[in-house]
Amino acid sequence: MSATKRNVRVFRYDPAVGGDGGFRDYTLEVENASAMTMLDVLLHIQREQDPTIAFRFACRVAMCGSCGMVINGRERLACKTNVSDLPPSEDITLRPMNHFPVIKDLVVDMDPMFNKFRETLSFFEPKEQLTEPARIAPDAPEREEIRLATDCIACGCCVSSCTMVDHHPDYAGPAALARAYALIADSRDGLFQERLAAALPSCHECRTETNCTEVCPKGISPTRAIKYIQRTALVQLEVTPKEAEVEETEAPPARWEVDRATFIRGAGVAVIGAAVAVTLGSVAAITTVGPTESAAAEEWVSVGRIADLPQGKVTTVLLNYEARSGIYSQTISKPVMISRLSDEIICYKTACPHLGCTVHFENQSDEFRCACHGGTFDRSGSVIAGPPPRALDRYRHKIEGDQLLVLI
Amino acid sequence: MSVTEDEAKPIQYRKHLRWGEHDPNRRANTPLGMWAWLWQRVSALLIVVLLVLHISLPYKLAIQFLLLLTVTFHATLGLRVILLDFNLVSIRHHRTLAWALPVVGLIAIFIVWRCIY
Repeated sequence: MSATKRNVRVFRYDPAVGGDGGFRDYTLEVENASAMTMLDVLLHIQREQDPTIAFRFACRVAMCGSCGMVINGRERLACKTNVSDLPPSEDITLRPMNHFPVIKDLVVDMDPMFNKFRETLSFFEPKEQLTEPARIAPDAPEREEIRLATDCIACGCCVSSCTMVDHHPDYAGPAALARAYALIADSRDGLFQERLAAALPSCHECRTETNCTEVCPKGISPTRAIKYIQRTALVQLEVTPKEAEVEETEAPPARWEVDRATFIRGAGVAVIGAAVAVTLGSVAAITTVGPTESAAAEEWVSVGRIADLPQGKVTTVLLNYEARSGIYSQTISKPVMISRLSDEIICYKTACPHLGCTVHFENQSDEFRCACHGGTFDRSGSVIAGPPPRALDRYRHKIEGDQLLVLI
Repeated sequence: MSVTEDEAKPIQYRKHLRWGEHDPNRRANTPLGMWAWLWQRVSALLIVVLLVLHISLPYKLAIQFLLLLTVTFHATLGLRVILLDFNLVSIRHHRTLAWALPVVGLIAIFIVWRCIY
């Protein structure tokens, strides 16, 4: 196989210099891409090009968990990733894991993760003094449930991939929770309740991104472990008043010093929250207490040419006009009775003042009549008979040129 | 690497790197589950906006449709989390869930919409 040149970008950080660190480029001849691991790549560069480069490794067979790093945008073990696993078009990019302080180049301080292991009581505490080792068959349901979780090599890949680790400082993280899960699911464990209580609050920080499940080089799913702890706690966590008391006395005093980032984050959340609350609240408030129908603005609507309205008759005209209320616009059809019985033009509403039925003019009797309850009005609109309490309502009108306009 | 007692200068750790920082290939390698999480948050914000629009401008078909679309998308992604939470679907299929549920949901909504309008 012919050798190919690959560009290798390695993140460099020198603790003596400090600063932000950055990538340095190396070019490497790759003889056999499918037989060359990232660890080989680093060793080649270290021996042949740059002896100052720092990285961690030990077993070379994915058992020690020392060589976890971000390779081309994904957490992997350097000893388990071959050059051929990466697209030939991409540079090889080696970078330290996320969420761990960088000591030098690719070497990170794993303490934050191991501190979380301690907080979630990730150590085995036998139930009783046993003289014989407990036997759990490989095909026992309990063993099946735990599955691969005992294979964790604490490489930190899952912690690096989980964005929630960065956003929630109290979050135990996927590695510690996967370990806690393996112990919680173990019937020999003597700290069931304590472990459950210690692990549960952290489980709520999981947002089911499943990044940890994707990157685990041992095929473990911390996501599944976290869900298991939550389900178990739902059924089996004992919450006793005594525990609550202990918790109260042991709680650290409230801290009032807030750093800038926390403050800005808090303020941001408050502003967004307030904006959403005000928007939704005002809409809700207006709908609840505001008038259901705002007083429609009056407008002059044209009825048509006066010449078209016959003299000595009452003509009912259907007005079509656009009514606007705030941002709504609506086409409204409204009938108007135009009386030209005398020289004076009178515009009546068709609604009966009694209960709103439609009033019409009867030519034969020369009266306005309401069909509902027999309300009768004379030609000037005054009540003659029936229940209507007042004369027919009128619209104001005016004449512009040859047009008749009505104020609706 | 070793640090002797004589060295006065203490080792200065670099602050932890964050997701995507100094990481040119990260976005292309973002797992599907994280997109599912991110899109659910984005759709949640969209729902707030569309809901306000829907209340202020009722009977606008475009807004109704967009709201229905967004709610469906958001709900199916929520369904994914519920299924994984209660182990109703094995974590092995988490990738399938992340794309299949929204696709099925959106197709169903299109069919329902076509039946109504």
